Amino acid sequence: MDRDTILAVIVGQIREVVPELADRPITESESMAELGLDSIERSEIIMNTLEAIGLDLPMVQMHGPKNLGELADLLHAKRHA
Amino acid sequence: MPSATPDIVFAGLGAASGLGYGKASLIDGLLAGRDVFGTLQRPGRQAPEGVAPFLGIEMAEPPSLLTARVERTVGFGARVAVAVVDEAWREAGLDTVAPERIGLVVGGSNLFSREQALLARDYAARPNFLPPRAGHAYLDSEIGGLLANTFAIRGFTLGVGAASASGAVAVMQAADAIRSGRVDACIALGALQDVSAMDLLGMRALGALGAPRFADCPGQACRPFDRDHDGFVFGESCAALVLRRADQAGPGYGSLVGAAQVADGQRGPEPDGAGQRRAIAQALVQAGLRPGDVDYVNAHATSTPKGDDVEAETLAASGLGHAWVNATKSVIGHGLAAAGAIEVAAVLLQMRAGRLHPTRNLDHPIAPPLRHVIGAAQPHQARVALKTSFGFGGIDTAMVIRGAP
Repeated sequence: MDRDTILAVIVGQIREVVPELADRPITESESMAELGLDSIERSEIIMNTLEAIGLDLPMVQMHGPKNLGELADLLHAKRHA
Repeated sequence: MPSATPDIVFAGLGAASGLGYGKASLIDGLLAGRDVFGTLQRPGRQAPEGVAPFLGIEMAEPPSLLTARVERTVGFGARVAVAVVDEAWREAGLDTVAPERIGLVVGGSNLFSREQALLARDYAARPNFLPPRAGHAYLDSEIGGLLANTFAIRGFTLGVGAASASGAVAVMQAADAIRSGRVDACIALGALQDVSAMDLLGMRALGALGAPRFADCPGQACRPFDRDHDGFVFGESCAALVLRRADQAGPGYGSLVGAAQVADGQRGPEPDGAGQRRAIAQALVQAGLRPGDVDYVNAHATSTPKGDDVEAETLAASGLGHAWVNATKSVIGHGLAAAGAIEVAAVLLQMRAGRLHPTRNLDHPIAPPLRHVIGAAQPHQARVALKTSFGFGGIDTAMVIRGAP
């Protein structure tokens, strides 16, 4: 699974958790906080993404990325670690 | 200056049951004695294989009042609560009351057990992916939190657990909060008790659940005060009552003029006549009324043999043999946490309609004789109503409601 596919999964999960964003373009330079997601929504999106791409990792390892692109990079790296 | 101990009126109500959403469906269905009983079908509530099915009543999906983003995170009972509070809120004109002067009392405990059973089933094999909201939404405070997040309630929110008397105790606590000066308006919610199959199996094992005799005809299984009663029948319901100061809200549906809750010392389901009589006597004293002043009793009347027998004795011994009596559970089933609140709503709507609904399936009334409403709705303009609600754990309550002038 390449990095862009993971990014697409993240965006899909964002739209699942926040249906109001269904028609809004979402770019990889944006962060979930910038999209107006609260911390519980952000956690849910990351957990849903982890499950969707087959990664079972503690949430604490998900801290650090500043935007969606960096999150996709991190998940891609973990998946191929 | 507002008076020190204001009169408390019911300024608005919202209701949901197997009869539908909204007060019109409740009063119309009650007066018609509609039969909405069937077999319980909701996931997490069906009887396991090889076990007799559970009879009862389930309601339709609530109207969609939340944003899609919030709604997807909210369980069934909480969405139903939003619907009934929305109805009561608008009728009571709470938009004109300062949010800091509005309180909320949620009656009921262990409100989400069916949904918790489904979570346990769905995440047993993937526990690390449990949705984060499961960490707060399993608490009964979820209802109060969601309601204050949705409506402008900034006085306080509080949960009270009193088993099947929870809805009634919520009404009493709401009245106390106004009398004490803490708030000017208070919503009492009888929350939907979203029972799981395990809850129902437990109550069946306890001998409290009805049905064995009427498994093939669900509409006849719930028969309060009838000699063939054999246990209570669950029915989903939920109701909100808005209590306000009479000097700020006018007469509304009527006034809560007396209320009492006593502990009778029983631990489990055993009814206790002495405790019931004491609650009724205390409520009447508080109202400054005598038993002869009561012209309508909305009984707790669950359709369990012991419970009905003891309550019938209690009503007769309390000098209420002259008053009309009916059992709302015969139409909408037993909502457990919600029962006391939706039955107060039923009292208020019947007072306004000038008619009392029949007790369904009351073919052979048990002794002692009471003035039951049987067969069809009874034209009667109730002036003073008594509402009894009892709960497992030795909880006996009675409320006296005076109709609006």
